[in-house]
Amino acid sequence: MAETNEQVEPVTATALERSRPPAHIEVENLEVRYGNVAAVRGVSFSVRPGEQLTLLGPSGCGKTTTLRAIAGLERPSAGAIHIGGTTVYASAARINIPAEKRGLSMVFQSYAIWPHMTVFDNVAYGLRVRRAGAAEIAEKVRSALELVQMGSFAERPASALSGGQQQRVALARACVFSPSVLLFDEPLSNLDAKLRADMRIELRELQHRLGITSVYVTHDLEEALAMSDRIVVMRDGRIEQTGSPSEIYSVPRNAFVADFVGSSNLIEGSLRPDLATGGLIALETKAGHIVYGAAHGRPVGPNPVFSVRTVHLRIDLEKPAAVRNVWPARVRRCVFQGDFTQIHLTWGDRELVVRRAAQEPIATGREGYLSVEPAHCVLLEAT
Amino acid sequence: MQASTLGWIRPSGQTLVGVAVTALAGVLVLYPIFFLLQASLNVGDPEAKPPTEYGFDNYVGLFQYSEILLNTVAVSLAATVMALLFGFVTAWILSRTDVPGRRTLEQLMAVPYYVTPLLGAFAWSLLGAPESGFVNQVWRALGGEDHLIDIVTPLGIAWVMALFEGSVAFVMIAAVMKSMDPALEEASQVIGASRFRTMLRVTLPLVAPGVLGAAIFVFAEMLGSFSAALVLGMPNRFYVVTTAMYQLVSQYPPRIPLAAAMGVSLFAVMFVMLFVYRRIITRRSYVTITGKAFRPRLMDVGRLRWVLFGICALYVVLSVVLPMLTLAYASVQKIAVAFPAAANWTLDNFRTATTMNAVRSALANSLLLGLATATIGVAIMGLLSWIIYRSRVPGSGMIEYIVMFPQAVPRLVFAFGMMWAWLIFPIPIYGTLWILLIAYLTVFLPLGVRAISGVMLQIDRSLEECAQMCGASWAYRTGTVTMPLLRPGLLAAWLLLFIASVRELGASILLMGPTSKVITPAIVESWFATSAELTAAMALIQTLVVALAMALFVFLTRQTSHHGGE
Repeated sequence: MAETNEQVEPVTATALERSRPPAHIEVENLEVRYGNVAAVRGVSFSVRPGEQLTLLGPSGCGKTTTLRAIAGLERPSAGAIHIGGTTVYASAARINIPAEKRGLSMVFQSYAIWPHMTVFDNVAYGLRVRRAGAAEIAEKVRSALELVQMGSFAERPASALSGGQQQRVALARACVFSPSVLLFDEPLSNLDAKLRADMRIELRELQHRLGITSVYVTHDLEEALAMSDRIVVMRDGRIEQTGSPSEIYSVPRNAFVADFVGSSNLIEGSLRPDLATGGLIALETKAGHIVYGAAHGRPVGPNPVFSVRTVHLRIDLEKPAAVRNVWPARVRRCVFQGDFTQIHLTWGDRELVVRRAAQEPIATGREGYLSVEPAHCVLLEAT
Repeated sequence: MQASTLGWIRPSGQTLVGVAVTALAGVLVLYPIFFLLQASLNVGDPEAKPPTEYGFDNYVGLFQYSEILLNTVAVSLAATVMALLFGFVTAWILSRTDVPGRRTLEQLMAVPYYVTPLLGAFAWSLLGAPESGFVNQVWRALGGEDHLIDIVTPLGIAWVMALFEGSVAFVMIAAVMKSMDPALEEASQVIGASRFRTMLRVTLPLVAPGVLGAAIFVFAEMLGSFSAALVLGMPNRFYVVTTAMYQLVSQYPPRIPLAAAMGVSLFAVMFVMLFVYRRIITRRSYVTITGKAFRPRLMDVGRLRWVLFGICALYVVLSVVLPMLTLAYASVQKIAVAFPAAANWTLDNFRTATTMNAVRSALANSLLLGLATATIGVAIMGLLSWIIYRSRVPGSGMIEYIVMFPQAVPRLVFAFGMMWAWLIFPIPIYGTLWILLIAYLTVFLPLGVRAISGVMLQIDRSLEECAQMCGASWAYRTGTVTMPLLRPGLLAAWLLLFIASVRELGASILLMGPTSKVITPAIVESWFATSAELTAAMALIQTLVVALAMALFVFLTRQTSHHGGE
């Protein structure tokens, strides 16, 4: 309660706010409830002008609900949303501007192409709503369709398009009236894998070219890493971590982010302050292995845990030259997965997973040496 | 900022329209029910409005009429058993076997519903009256004694009711059978169970809830059915609850409070049954309807297929072909007999029917009401469907209950409440076409809302949301996105409402005034007051007019969709 009251002041001080905004979209302590169920529980983040921000998380984490709340399609129960210096929602000041007046645009997961219209009419819709002249409509629709390489499709009935084509038309329709903000709700999830990879790059380029501020929702890690300037990882209606793709990937805050953003091994141990050296800290596992890693300035809690990406672990048959983080291990299982091979190792009293580029398989039961750069052992935040 | 602060509380056009339509539906449905309850509790002077004394005497008085209640239950049960038998057998044949002509037969199965039990009762009365029935005349000509069948009996009433409700049972049971994943049966056979064992242990338990649901729904409909018992029961003073109510209201002096108590009891029973039905249906849907597309596996029945084909064809003959032929046969005779002499043939009945002022004005009134009900109804019911299934208005579940409420109330009972309600209404609409319009709009709420919402639920919500994100106001996106996408549903609802209005009997018979006659009650009056032959001609004319209207409608909508669409 006290927190929401604090929000009142900046909301009412509008005149100041209008001149101020460095952030294009600002979400403050957003909460969305369906009856008794809270889908979003106190989420705050901001999006800078021209930035592409991605909300990433498993299904049911509240990412889509958050996006829809920004759009105005979902009514929050508390918090505030500011877009371009205008408050579009604030529970304390009882402001709620309807979606159609927020001046945003959105690409839907289902594309939402109107089947009873032609491609041209679909794209022209937003311009007609804005009462643009016929010549202006024709010109803008043409260039929007060119932009998504659908120029020759204008007169086709929209119901006769393939999935990928519908996706492009949906994109053209969303861009055509030059919105200040573009929202994407898992726009690529209905496409097949190959097309998805192509569209990813195209979308990213388009976003750069138009310089539109965008918020993108996905559960696909690769998509998030490839397309975003910044990522917000969500779980159970809360934010787990906010950062650039490389930050999120390399320095996960906790076990959830480490595991969700690519596969990770978690190594628990007790702190050995006596072995700390050159900015590295050392943990001793239950099996007696000494593991060196980086704390990244994080305080060491009572139960410290390192996260180590499966691709950062190495397995060699010859002992490597490195001094630290080299241990004997035995191969339990080798699973060929195409682009990489996944190797399950017995390491002391536990199992670790190593991924490496596809090579000759290593026979089960072979003894070898496990090693990892200390910099790749990342201390998770104390819980 | 001032404006947007107001946006929090200032009602938008959308909210205003929503509230208005919801309030309208609430008044239409609940206002008459209130008067029905009030009348049933009136133990003082029956003429006094509002009642001076309240009590349960009228309900206690119902026990004097235990015979009527028993009649109702007996006829309804017999009719339900027969209707389910027709429905189950035909549904199984048409959805699970490779019977020839499946597609056509399936479409024909819907026709009895459009023929209506009233025409069925006329026709079967002409066929099966003990003395004059065509079947019995043929029977005697072949050397039989007395009569072969007697339709003017409780069992005869049940037979006619079952023939026409069988089509409803078919639709419901066929839907269950089609939605069952054949993999469930195949799994049983793969494990090694015989076909018979699979049927017994897998198929039957899976369809049982659906069949039970259909049974309850059909039974509730039977309890409230009116026309067959009116035509075949009244002449012999055999009453069921609905006809008894009609008698109590139309006799002199009328016994309104008692009739009201009967109506309330009937509707209470039906309400409970339909509630149970809903529970069964919603629970079942989790089990068998997976949303996964599959083709039902058809059983190869070998040479038996022609027998099965015969069974389905026989049902269509008994419920559609034979009744319509009988009416046609009777309508061109002076006195309807099985073996008419040459001098007996005549077209006078049609001449009389088309020139009689009463019939012409009644038909014109019905068509006018049909047009008005369908047009106004589609607008109101479309908005209601949208509010119930699309908007996230709090309490939309409650609105759904109110809108579906008339389903649980026999139309006669509803009209009864309405008679009272609008009698004291300050604007004198009683005895005019207006009250019939209001009655039709009320009793057909569930019909229209269901027809429209069926299509609405198939339209992805994001299609409307996307229009909103493009900046379109509610009115604009309704006109450019929602309505065009909903077109098939709206057109189907329009046609359904039109047909239902033109053939409406239960509500019209109580509410029409001497100067505002409509066609179906006029036909019933003719049956009792003039001749069966003239009635047959009138019934055929009505059927023809409806068929022509349907054809015209289909032609016009095809035309516009060709111009508008591709």
